[in-house]
Amino acid sequence: MTTDVNFDVSEIDRGGTPVLEVRGEVDVSTAPELRERLLALAEQGRTLAVVDLSDVSFVDSTALGVLVSGVKRLRSAGGDLRLVVTQPRISKVFEITGLTDVFHIYKSAAEAVKA
Amino acid sequence: MSDASWVVPGDQVLHERDRVELSLPARPELLFLLRMTAAAVASRADFGYDQIEDLRLAIDELALTVCGDEASAGRLQLLFKWTDDAIEVVGIYEPEDSGGSRPDLSIAQPVNELSARILDALVDEHGADVVSGCPRAWLRMRRRKGGHR
Repeated sequence: MTTDVNFDVSEIDRGGTPVLEVRGEVDVSTAPELRERLLALAEQGRTLAVVDLSDVSFVDSTALGVLVSGVKRLRSAGGDLRLVVTQPRISKVFEITGLTDVFHIYKSAAEAVKA
Repeated sequence: MSDASWVVPGDQVLHERDRVELSLPARPELLFLLRMTAAAVASRADFGYDQIEDLRLAIDELALTVCGDEASAGRLQLLFKWTDDAIEVVGIYEPEDSGGSRPDLSIAQPVNELSARILDALVDEHGADVVSGCPRAWLRMRRRKGGHR
């Protein structure tokens, strides 16, 4: 459990699909907790999950690396890791790294779950 | 660090308006201090909001570049300097001579390519090398047209 006051991850269930709601700044200090949460979902046998980054104000390459590992893991099991990105600053990071071609990105968790 | 350690290739900040030096333990949980300092410097240099945010991310990636691979307990030294139209940042990682615990920066290892893509997109010039046995990285960001706040 991180003690970083600028970061939090909570899990909710949307019609049987786990949605990780991330808040705050995801960097080399906080990304390990996100990685652990994604690993836990995989270990539970989940193959479809959503990571909601709507309330995230900062991501760096370590955060992206964690998400890339997560999507590879779930897709290799026949599923997917879908993202919700609404902040322009966060969208920009996915665009400049070319990861918009890797992830399925949605504007809301409801949209991501239904897709 | 000698003064020469802070001179980077293509150094064009000849008439700097001011400089800020920052020294801190190279620990992941302290990276936010670099971002705060970068934002304050860019704001002081009268850069626009978008470039301030770009510099916050670029500084983070610069720190990962110098601390990521062989990090042991040590310190990260940062020098920010700026003119009317550019900001230059140099970061040097100084490993501790012996002992001390190793910070867990291993998570940064698979993302070097992503880090390079981010720096390529956000700053005008950047590079990394080794000076006096210490990993060093630097970046230079020029004010974009209409970039004043």
